[in-house]
Amino acid sequence: MSDTEHSQEDSIPFYPDHVRTEFFVVLGVLVIVLIIGIVGLFNPVGTGEPADPLNTPLHVKPEWYFLSLYQILKKIPPMVLGIEGKIVGVVIPILLVGLIFIWPFLDNKPDKSKRAYWIRLAVAIVALITIIALTIWGEVS
Amino acid sequence: MRFFSLKRLGLLAILVIALGLFIFISTHAKAYSPNADGQLNEPAPPNWTLAEIQQSSPQLVITPPPPGEDTCLSCHILGQNKGLWTPLGRWILFGGLGLVFAFGVYRSASTWKTRAPWKPLTNRAFDWFDERYQIAVPLQKILKKPVPRYALHWWYCLGGITAFLFVVQGVTGILLAFYYKPTPDAAYASIQYIENQVYFGSSIRAIHHWCANGMIVVCVAHMLRVFIMGAYKRPRELNWVSGVLLLVLTLVFGFTGYLLPWDQRAFWATTVGSEIAGAIPAIGNLALVYLRVGWNVTGETLSRFYGLHVIVVPLATVAFMGAHFLMVRRQGIAKPL
Repeated sequence: MSDTEHSQEDSIPFYPDHVRTEFFVVLGVLVIVLIIGIVGLFNPVGTGEPADPLNTPLHVKPEWYFLSLYQILKKIPPMVLGIEGKIVGVVIPILLVGLIFIWPFLDNKPDKSKRAYWIRLAVAIVALITIIALTIWGEVS
Repeated sequence: MRFFSLKRLGLLAILVIALGLFIFISTHAKAYSPNADGQLNEPAPPNWTLAEIQQSSPQLVITPPPPGEDTCLSCHILGQNKGLWTPLGRWILFGGLGLVFAFGVYRSASTWKTRAPWKPLTNRAFDWFDERYQIAVPLQKILKKPVPRYALHWWYCLGGITAFLFVVQGVTGILLAFYYKPTPDAAYASIQYIENQVYFGSSIRAIHHWCANGMIVVCVAHMLRVFIMGAYKRPRELNWVSGVLLLVLTLVFGFTGYLLPWDQRAFWATTVGSEIAGAIPAIGNLALVYLRVGWNVTGETLSRFYGLHVIVVPLATVAFMGAHFLMVRRQGIAKPL
């Protein structure tokens, strides 16, 4: 049987069974959203000092999801292999995103083995730990 | 099946509450209109009478509406008592009762005339459309499409949760956009206005802020799930590609939205962020000038980021999301090992 067709026995109909499951998931998320709203009523996000182009603050930090990239950029030596470090620090993330982008065309063997699965799991965990470590490092430094 | 089953009433209640909240938040801020000194007036004391309020705060004189102006609007929308609930409640109550009455009369008359069992209105509407557009067969095919049982584990929900959070961001974003002003002079003050004056304004902003963070977390979790399970493999390559694009768009949402409060953190994070974009070889300066609309972060940058954040990126996201969903639908959910 092809990978994209599903037989009737091992499946449920999209409506109403699957839609009902998704509906309860949505309700659950909605409850979390409402809790955030109620907490926000008493603890607003708030604003910092108004923007002042003439006054640079001591520590400029991006949002946490850019912190790992920013940390690489900050810690890279000024010259790497005769190329300016700043350029290397910018080009490497772009190349990484490009690699992720075209990944299915590089890893195109229909490998369903357990071994490939464990390798992918290990790669994902290492990448995740690296990003989290860099983010924490950026947060405390 | 009873018409007013618990399930239907529950769904209806959720819809009515959601719609009511949306109208409520989008129509008015707290009723403290500024007086001549620019100071905000105290709110009216509860259970006030006309004489009492004229005595306690003479600046809040209730004047009868000018002739030709709507009585409800001139007090509840434009005047001192900016509470929409009274007129809204009356409209819903009396209008709803009127509709129920009209429906009852029509149903009785029609049953009397045709001597046939009553056919629910939803069935009639469906038949009306089906007669013209023949939707029954394709709709049946769409709705009865089998979904594999293994797709009921929680980790298959991550993509759906991301999509739902995008909807939450859309709704709260529209509410914020009703009050936000994208100019350097007014942006910061309008955020404070949203947090202090708009009803549930701080809730809406908190939801928009935290769900933006949550969306990135769930999006990355979804991507890791797909990667670990190898679900990106042939024939689903383009689905992975569109998913990576959606993640990038989510990050662009974060980057452009971060500037909008126009505080010190926002301003300097954008300055540094666009500087980093400027370090890209060959196209760096072009990217920097495009993002900042000039060599420095100014009011032009704010307008540019606002336009990107509320128009360009949402449109692109909806387009890629549609493609993403259609591909999932066509190819089904990848089989685990």
